[in-house]
Amino acid sequence: MPLVVTGKRGNVEILTAVDDAAEKLGLSRGSALAQARAMHPNIDTVAEDIEADAALLESIADWCLRYTPLVACDAPDGLLLDISGCAHLYGGEHELIADLSGRLENAGFAYSLAIAGTIGAAWAAAHYGKPESYACGEERTLLNPLPLASLRLPPATVASLGRVGLKCIGDIVDLPRAPLTARFGFEVLRQLDRALGQEHEPLTPRLPVAPYVAEQRFAEPIAREEDVLAITERLARRLQFALERRGDGARRIELTLFRADGAVRRIAAGTSRSLRNPDEIRALFVERLAALADALDPGFGFDMARLSVIVAEPCAAEQVGIGGCEDKADLCRLVDRLSARLGARRVRRLVAQDSHIPELAEVALPAQTIHGDTGWDAFHRYRKEVELPPRPLRLLSRPEPIEAVAEVPDGPPLRFRWRRALHEVMAAEGPERIEGAWWSEHGGPARDYFRVEDKSGMRFWLFRAGLYRDLTQAGTAPSWFLHGTFA
Amino acid sequence: MLAMQRAPGLEDGSATLPLGISAIDAVLGGGLLRGALHEIAAPGETHLVAVAGFALGLTKLIAPSPRFFWIVEDMALAESGALYGAGFNAFGLTPERQVTVSVAHRRDLLWVMEEVLHCRAVDVVIGEIRGGEINSVAVRRLSYAAAKNGGLALLLRASPSSGASTATTRWIVSTAPSAGSHGPGAPRFAAQLIRNRRGPVGSWILEWSYRNAQFILATHAQPMAAPVFDRPYSQAAREIA
Repeated sequence: MPLVVTGKRGNVEILTAVDDAAEKLGLSRGSALAQARAMHPNIDTVAEDIEADAALLESIADWCLRYTPLVACDAPDGLLLDISGCAHLYGGEHELIADLSGRLENAGFAYSLAIAGTIGAAWAAAHYGKPESYACGEERTLLNPLPLASLRLPPATVASLGRVGLKCIGDIVDLPRAPLTARFGFEVLRQLDRALGQEHEPLTPRLPVAPYVAEQRFAEPIAREEDVLAITERLARRLQFALERRGDGARRIELTLFRADGAVRRIAAGTSRSLRNPDEIRALFVERLAALADALDPGFGFDMARLSVIVAEPCAAEQVGIGGCEDKADLCRLVDRLSARLGARRVRRLVAQDSHIPELAEVALPAQTIHGDTGWDAFHRYRKEVELPPRPLRLLSRPEPIEAVAEVPDGPPLRFRWRRALHEVMAAEGPERIEGAWWSEHGGPARDYFRVEDKSGMRFWLFRAGLYRDLTQAGTAPSWFLHGTFA
Repeated sequence: MLAMQRAPGLEDGSATLPLGISAIDAVLGGGLLRGALHEIAAPGETHLVAVAGFALGLTKLIAPSPRFFWIVEDMALAESGALYGAGFNAFGLTPERQVTVSVAHRRDLLWVMEEVLHCRAVDVVIGEIRGGEINSVAVRRLSYAAAKNGGLALLLRASPSSGASTATTRWIVSTAPSAGSHGPGAPRFAAQLIRNRRGPVGSWILEWSYRNAQFILATHAQPMAAPVFDRPYSQAAREIA
């Protein structure tokens, strides 16, 4: 049965895609579903799923990374590959097209390919030209007979050009430019110039292009994890020379595995310092592979592997063997291993911030990302200068409301209830007033902090939000919070 | 006098960590054994902060500026809050030499502790575990890893475990009322050594002296009740024997 995919455009249900059988019946993309049904009652319809289409396009884009690192998605159904300097790896542009079309055919996709010197010409040829056209250097002859819609112009512009009898690209190529622009807008000639290569059109790759890449194709697909690790090490060894030559080290590395059936798996690992030692890179991926939530499913095996350094940084030459340095390298290795296994956000160090509000005064950041000053020197100086009152050993992520009874209105609480347990205050110290961020709308009220000790010797850091004077004027009861605990 | 009492510890000075209190060091055979696992439990979850304080005090004793890892379950972070840099700085520890690792599962926690113990650049590894039993094989592995590289491993628990353990010493630490005349004073811990592979057990009230950055034996004017936890005498006696 002929199959069509339908979707809503405005208020009309239209056909967004048709299969070969439906095409033979004379149905085409863009016609109304009601009309199609009227003509052919026995067609099979499927509602379109835009997200799934986009995901499929992305996965094909990933898979195309085997041809070039510069792959851009041209939604909803196109891919742009910049193969400059890559075609020779396949023995030439024609061979590359043959390889690509063979693989697409095997995967069961309907496709239309074109190679041209410009994005515009390739797009026009792929959408409106002969299948598998090839037009490097002959963009003009290729484009002349094609309809104006192939210039990626808005339908309204194409229609108004059509009304004055301009149907093909050939019709406008030699027209005087000024009147054309005056009448139809600047877009027409810009798209034409781009297609002809008179104006540069940038390609925006989907993924950042890695500065260092090494890849390996296999005659026989590999499937075992040990083999994957061995090949990772071999690729890392190859990258090592390139990195050394430019004095760089890797800060973020990605391993891309191309499965024989087209699925692509990308696994990235970060490092806390510039790294080029292949053994250490291998060790990182040992952890990453062990920590994968869904196991590395090789299916019929991987037929290509690529190791790319996504972020590289200058690597300072290090002296090896004299104390201190070794320790630091050891620690970095440990942090990298833990981050690779658990995720970088789970391995954290504290960084002092420029704030007097307790919960903002320090933040825990991934240890891998922290370099140089962590702000604690300034904190130590500040602590010495102002004799900072004691701070709790553990700070709750957010202050928890408590029920408290104070003896004198603005004094420390007499007893309070926290997490359903009643605490009798035996000793108290305070208040330490910490102003809110008064310069900001969301700064919150000032807080009066008290350090209290209960009967069993547990010590808490409590505060009353708002000044007592303001609270009585407003007629509201003071609200108390518990913010931390002392040893 | 003090030097004489410390003498046994000095023979293998690097192997033990003297607490600087002769009574305890004598019981421990010179001090807390380095390159070993020590278990410090709280009598209940609310005393966990005291346990953390006690562990940080031990950490400070090991080096002037020790590098330490604090490994904790996500749940515990949400429940008791994270270590506060400005707070543990008062123990003489520098926040820039501390690394926090939060884990989702307990088996990850023990794995991380073991990994960290293999690293020579880290002086102390502190792992914090809430209730429940832990895999005794993993604990034994921790003891081995600590012994191999000479790192100090401290396992903090929210409640005393009843199971067997390869820990060199086991403590129960709770908060004790401080002796401040004006507001809360220096932190005090009721520390109870309930198992010691190298000698007898005992119980003391310790105070952390901020000024000297060490523990001192608290002199308490009023009689102090022992910390409350479920531990009948007969059971304790059996374990000691």
